[in-house]
Amino acid sequence: MNEVLFYIGAIMIIIGGICDLFGALGLLKFPNFYIRLHAATVGTIGGAVVPLFGVGFLALGADFLPHKYAIAGASFVTGIIVLLAAPAGAHALAYAAHKAKIVKWQPKVDHLAEVREND
Amino acid sequence: MSLESEFFLLMKFVIPLYLLAFVIYAIRAFKGPTIVDIILAVDCMSFDIAAFMAILAVYFKSAFLISGAITLALWAYLLDIYIAKHLVSKEVGA
Repeated sequence: MNEVLFYIGAIMIIIGGICDLFGALGLLKFPNFYIRLHAATVGTIGGAVVPLFGVGFLALGADFLPHKYAIAGASFVTGIIVLLAAPAGAHALAYAAHKAKIVKWQPKVDHLAEVREND
Repeated sequence: MSLESEFFLLMKFVIPLYLLAFVIYAIRAFKGPTIVDIILAVDCMSFDIAAFMAILAVYFKSAFLISGAITLALWAYLLDIYIAKHLVSKEVGA
């Protein structure tokens, strides 16, 4: 049972590292702020929440740790905090960038403007 | 092969991935054209440093690094909300 929890946590940590690297590359290479938000989602949810839950499972399964229940519980709490805080923060930033007109807004399709012109 | 030696073998593969991601986030944070790009890069970097501190807590067998991770995650959310409030209404207040 300990080995199963340990290997589940190790696989989740590896997935988190790969998602973290891909999110960082997307954040560097994408052309626009609104497109960079997608890469930021990969970098926070895939790159922070998944390895935090992975550290929790790995610490529960590890037999060499002295404070394994403290580390596992605090890792789960941090993962839930990041899971709730990262989408709310990204949404607030996108709302502020649109309201303050910092980033140029050039949509391909804007159905609301079409409907307002037809009225 | 015990679980401890397997964990240190795992760390040899995982630590370079996280360090490379931190460097790329730092490049975007230094050269970001607008202020929201800088805040988004600092935000991603803070959440990933929180995850990396949880991994280091297992690596160094210390439970004290985890309290720093919780504080770092809450601080990144606070930075987002304050910057967004300042950009929308030109003040940070109630």
